[in-house]
Amino acid sequence: MKSTDKLILDGAQLSIHGVLETDDTDSLREFLEKNKAVFFDAGKLSLDFSDSPGIDSVPGEILYQFCRQLARAGVKITRIGASKSIDTLFASFKKHESASSLKKRRIGIHEHFEDLGEGVYTFLKTLSGLWFFVGETLNAFIGMILHPLKIRWPMVFYYMEETGVKAIPIIATLTLLLGTVLGYQSGFQMRIFGAENFMPALLAYSITWEIGPMLAAVLVAGRSGSAFAAEIGTMQVRQEVDALRVMGFDTFSYLVTPKMIALLCVMPFLVLLANCSGIFGGLLAGILFLDLPASTFISELGKALIPLDIIWGMIKSVIYAVIIANVGCFMGIRVRGGASAVGKATTAAVVLSIFLVILADALMSLLFVHIRPGLSM
Amino acid sequence: MNMILQVEHLRGGWDKQLVLDDVNLQVKRGEVLVIVGRSGCGKSTLMQHMLGLLKPWSGKILFNGRNIWESPQALQESRRRWGVLFQSGALLGNLTLLENVMLPLKEYTDISRSDMALVAYSKLETVDLADFADSNPLEVSGGMQKRAGLARAMALDPEVLFFDEPSAGLDPVTSSNLDSLIKSINKSLGTTVVIVTHELASIFAISDRVVMLDGEEHGIIAEGTAMELKENSTDSRVRAFFGRDEFTEKKEE
Ligand SMILES: Nc1ncnc2c1ncn2[C@@H]1O[C@H](COP(=O)(O)OP(=O)(O)OP(=O)(O)O)[C@@H](O)[C@H]1O
Ligand SMILES: [Mg+2]
Repeated sequence: MKSTDKLILDGAQLSIHGVLETDDTDSLREFLEKNKAVFFDAGKLSLDFSDSPGIDSVPGEILYQFCRQLARAGVKITRIGASKSIDTLFASFKKHESASSLKKRRIGIHEHFEDLGEGVYTFLKTLSGLWFFVGETLNAFIGMILHPLKIRWPMVFYYMEETGVKAIPIIATLTLLLGTVLGYQSGFQMRIFGAENFMPALLAYSITWEIGPMLAAVLVAGRSGSAFAAEIGTMQVRQEVDALRVMGFDTFSYLVTPKMIALLCVMPFLVLLANCSGIFGGLLAGILFLDLPASTFISELGKALIPLDIIWGMIKSVIYAVIIANVGCFMGIRVRGGASAVGKATTAAVVLSIFLVILADALMSLLFVHIRPGLSM
Repeated sequence: MNMILQVEHLRGGWDKQLVLDDVNLQVKRGEVLVIVGRSGCGKSTLMQHMLGLLKPWSGKILFNGRNIWESPQALQESRRRWGVLFQSGALLGNLTLLENVMLPLKEYTDISRSDMALVAYSKLETVDLADFADSNPLEVSGGMQKRAGLARAMALDPEVLFFDEPSAGLDPVTSSNLDSLIKSINKSLGTTVVIVTHELASIFAISDRVVMLDGEEHGIIAEGTAMELKENSTDSRVRAFFGRDEFTEKKEE
């Protein structure tokens, strides 16, 4: 072994000859492990560096950790003839150890609670910030409604295209697929009881009340909420937002309101689209897999659906639009620092808006399930 | 009135972090004031306060004798008379250079679009960018972005121009060209200029007066002409800052 030439053991005295290099790390570790017992038994270890001009920092660290381990077990460590460079190296380990022990101490159970508490605190702080932001948005929004000429319509149209028109293919495709799968699976179960004729009703309820609005909202949050956060965040980082403010622009009416108005306009249509294509998916499933003719499907659908089902989706969509636009813009405006902050804000925007959308959905479903005749007991 | 901008007993900073405490500063009409100091000492923060982007915790910012925080109108009217060039240029990426220069005109004036374009074009000409009027900011070099930013800052013939590290990221030649451009604007139009910079060369080239900030004291530690500070200051921090060039000269000998 290469390193045994460099390491010579004599009783409890370990002499090091020559420079211990990074390449010697493995053999050093092996050597120490093998001879650990010797030092434990002797109750001491004396390191002789008089023949060694220096140690690289990796084997140095190994040696240092080894000594510490022994010292903790009560073994007495002595150093002989260490050169200045070796002393400096060990001193630097000592320093960094006090730093890392700080971190290590945080593993205890309290610290987990502390972290949890801190996390909850920042989350609540974010939410309260968002709350004020929504207040400001609504304020700006009402101002806009009172002076419709002040709205930056070209921007509104631009965002309507970005968030609405361009989202049509993906929303239509995904809800179609989901509608087909749902129709097929529920119809199959129901056929066992000879009840597949109720599949259209079940499908229509679940699509119009939950899946259509929800899926549209999740997709819009992923596509547009993140884009809002990224766009405003980048502008924030490049000081464009400051520049706009100095030029006298109201940042809300320039950056936030056009996005919100655009989303408010397109979201109901996206939900309507999601509902239609989801139900159409169910129709396809009926025809393809369940021998349910289109005419039956449609007449069953006609019996089951009432206008409220469609209107309800639209009401939900408006609330989702407010959530997504506000969270996206809020996360963007909050960006401080460099480009990495923009990435974080984007992720946070998507996660928080989906979270709030689902929360809002749950609340609305629980509170308003009774308004739907035929659904409540 | 002789003083165009006055900072009185300003105390301020970010969120909960105090950066500036009891800062007093007067900017004379028509002068070029340079703010210097080590990185992180609060130069940009002071500028944000002067621009009304950060609200002071206490104290006042007076522009032409009027507190800019007196009312939203006061702030808006003051801003109309300011031009700012941010450290990064801060041009809007989705607009062309020309449209960027037109932005302040759009917000503050009622002139027709074609007139706006005409004014904006002539401003781009003064910074030698007329050929790039229709380029996207991200397609032109950093120096050009700064010049376009300067054109935008000058769009409304401001009374005060603010610059945050105009030479950051520019080569010495481009940066000294920008310096002479700033100086010539100051001379020919009488525009007051407030600059944050680290470049000794530009400090000596263009400053009428220099103030030095220090992070530990949260405020101004020295004030005077560049020459005075360099020659007469007894403060070790000032000497260290202005001593830099002597140090390099000695090394070269
Ligand atoms: N956007 C911000 N949000 C929060 N704190 C900030 C922000 N910008 C600066 N600070 C803090 O304010 C203090 C002063 O920073 P400032 O940017 O004013 O320094 P500076 O003198 O301009 O430095 P530099 O020469 O590096 O630009 C720093 O401690 C910094 O952490
Ligand atoms: Mg700065």
